Amino acid sequence: MGFITFLVRRILHSIFVLLGLSIVIFIISRIMPGNPARMAVGPRAPQYVIDEMSRLMHLHEPLHVQYYYWLRDALHGDFGTSLVTRRAVADDMKEFFPATLELTLFAGVIMAGGGIFIGILSAQHKDKWIDNVLRLVSYLGVVTPSFIFAIFFLLLFGMALEWMPTMSRLSPGVSPPRTITGLITVDSLLAGNLTAFLDALWHLILPGIALAMGGLAQESRITRSSMSDNLTKDYIASARSLGIPERVIMRRFLLKPSLIPTVSILGLDFAGTMANAFLVEFIFNWPGSSSYGYSAMLRKDLNAIAGVVLTMGVVFIVVNVLVDIVVGLLDPRIRLAPQRGE
Amino acid sequence: MKTLRVLSAMMVLVLVTGLVASCARPTEAPPEPTEAPPPEKRVLRISFSWPTYIDPAVGSDFSSSSSLCNLYDTLVFPTTEGGVDPHVADSWETSADGLTWTFHLREGIKFHNGSELTASDIAFSMNRMLEIGEGYAYVFLGTVESATAPDDYTVQFKLAKPSGIFLISLVRLYIADEEEVMDNIVTPGPYGDNGDYGKEYLLTHDAGSGPYTVKEFPLEEYLLMEKYDDWFGEFHPNAPDEVKFIGTTEPATVRTLMSRGELEITDQWQPIEALEALDEMEGVDVAAFLTLTEFYYMMHTQKPPTDDIHFRRAMAYAFDYEAAVALEWPGTQQSRGPVPIITAGHNPDVFVFQRDLDKAREELALSPYADALDDYPVEVHWITDVPAEEKWALLFQANMADIGINVEVVSTPWTAVVEETGDIETSPHIVTIYVSADFPEAGSLLKVRYHSDAAPTWSQNEWLLDDELDQMIEDSLTTVDEEERYAKYRDLQDYIMDLCPSLFLYDQVQKQAYRSDYVDFPAARGEVIPLMGLVFFAPKIGVTGP
Repeated sequence: MGFITFLVRRILHSIFVLLGLSIVIFIISRIMPGNPARMAVGPRAPQYVIDEMSRLMHLHEPLHVQYYYWLRDALHGDFGTSLVTRRAVADDMKEFFPATLELTLFAGVIMAGGGIFIGILSAQHKDKWIDNVLRLVSYLGVVTPSFIFAIFFLLLFGMALEWMPTMSRLSPGVSPPRTITGLITVDSLLAGNLTAFLDALWHLILPGIALAMGGLAQESRITRSSMSDNLTKDYIASARSLGIPERVIMRRFLLKPSLIPTVSILGLDFAGTMANAFLVEFIFNWPGSSSYGYSAMLRKDLNAIAGVVLTMGVVFIVVNVLVDIVVGLLDPRIRLAPQRGE
Repeated sequence: MKTLRVLSAMMVLVLVTGLVASCARPTEAPPEPTEAPPPEKRVLRISFSWPTYIDPAVGSDFSSSSSLCNLYDTLVFPTTEGGVDPHVADSWETSADGLTWTFHLREGIKFHNGSELTASDIAFSMNRMLEIGEGYAYVFLGTVESATAPDDYTVQFKLAKPSGIFLISLVRLYIADEEEVMDNIVTPGPYGDNGDYGKEYLLTHDAGSGPYTVKEFPLEEYLLMEKYDDWFGEFHPNAPDEVKFIGTTEPATVRTLMSRGELEITDQWQPIEALEALDEMEGVDVAAFLTLTEFYYMMHTQKPPTDDIHFRRAMAYAFDYEAAVALEWPGTQQSRGPVPIITAGHNPDVFVFQRDLDKAREELALSPYADALDDYPVEVHWITDVPAEEKWALLFQANMADIGINVEVVSTPWTAVVEETGDIETSPHIVTIYVSADFPEAGSLLKVRYHSDAAPTWSQNEWLLDDELDQMIEDSLTTVDEEERYAKYRDLQDYIMDLCPSLFLYDQVQKQAYRSDYVDFPAARGEVIPLMGLVFFAPKIGVTGP
């Protein structure tokens, strides 16, 4: 019961966080230099056209009135029209967000799978050569921005070796499946279109791995460190003294508690990856919401900025709630602990 | 615990799959396309700075202009010499007072949907553009009073004042099918009974009669156009069957696509180093040609210390133009005056500043600010979005230090430049900007650069506010006789040089790497239509590979 109360409280907090986020992003987007009405109609449009656009965007109103109009429309799912694409931001997000989601989910799987696997391997061979090599690789992963990996992969696997596709979500000529979720891999499986599925997967590999490298390194380091700590705990020594095989100790008593910090960081990394994917998306010409948001920032596309940031905010919150659930499942102390006031 | 074991197994599986897929050369080729294009299909792919707008009343930037000229026809068509040829109109005449222009149309021109192009479509396209007020509307606003269609093959424009550049400006009036547009309006919209005037529809569709028609347009990725075989014009024997404008300028991506034979021509925004690397690739060359764009250092003439002409002249003499030109692509030349040398009406005899430190010091000594230079630092704002501009700003800073002028170099985003140059108080001492002429005539550029109407815009940081100059510009633009008009343009250039309002660095050379082994690119042969976007008029480009 305590755990459910905890979750309900987290979700209620999230609503206030979103509201706060909306105010912050609204104010930031309004005080950025540049007249958004002029940006919308082109730098040489006559003044009366700019004035009319300003009126339509309520830019002549005080800031709090502008926010009221904006929030009112946003609550109806209407973020207004993008000044860059000239269509509804909601339509843009419907098209671009699934592309980013698919890419980051793919990267997330690599981060989780690869990071935990490497972390375990390192911890098992602590201070041996394999651990040293993996730690070196992890350091490189942590300190190298994802766009460097993206350019490296592009030039190596795309240009020099010509093994992998270098742009877009599908090869020219491959018919995309009917849009159901917007995730091409999922939609193509639902439609039974194996060719499109394999092609989409093929296109995901380079940007996905480039995006995952930082998180993968981070997760592996945290898993290793956590496992190393737990290895020195008394209950492990006790298990060993009872003659329980090392393999069983590792799987039963060590892995589960060691994953708690990893999962917590994984959630943050995943959400961060989604927000920071814009350079990787640019490099691979990936039509995602991160690059859309970045273009919006450069062009002071207020509605699009707000739409993207709020969507990312929702993702961030959902992921964190999910992480809380997973951590609760992994650690009974969290899910069973009485909440304050109980 | 069982769940955890399954999870561990899945993680290992994912990792191994990922590593194998990324590191090992695939034993099988990537999946075969379900609808592979026939091998004989000729495709022309060009990278562009995005986004692109294909609505003829909305688009006006580089990629939009390049798209529009392929999707839509115009009354007249620009020539490489800077004039116009008949196109949809096969003849025209103007009234004695220069206020009425009548065009007679070819018969039988078909839109992509099969309906016939008539005079009412042209009147509709002009009226729609004027009402929306975006894109190239500024070219016609204040000049065109009305557009009417006396019959199916005659269209008439009434002008508010005579215009020497009206005929050439019609190359920006893209003709849309009235019926198709009005069948697709969304109501209610901001244009009364016309709803949204078809803006939503024309965002991703075309309603034109041009040589290519929209096939696919995923907004953030690319624009794919296919050949319209019933176009009334003439195609190159190897004209592409499909033209794809790809929305990327990222150098690593562009280079990779080029090396794989997945890109035929690059965008013009590739840095010099990237172009040099592309130039070294087998089968790739760089086409470089002069444009109607000039790089200016715009000096605020109403703000101390750049309000003093001697101070401005001192800076003009102190700047090292040769070094500035050397920082650009080989073949770039110092500008000769306020308009690019290929512009019709350019004055070849106009005074040109060269670096001369003695003269610079002489001029500075005449300035009231000469004894208080430390109190008057000069701010130079260069545009953050064009990183290459910084090197010229630093060169300028170093050159000015030679005569004791302190320069502060400030990186400023484009959106901020547009905002700050809109007000005389917030405009900085100097802004560095490339400005392009809309038409290959000196007057069109001089108007947006130096007329008082342009003062509160990014295209004029000088704030000249000179009534005599305004009068001269208006007089030249309303002169219908070509020779007389050009003579007035030449006088204008002398007048502007006397004011020394700007530093004229160089005429921009447009540089594009292209697959010379299988692309016949007219611009590379020197056949350049000097209008933004027209170098990518695909019917004249030949493709025989890859």
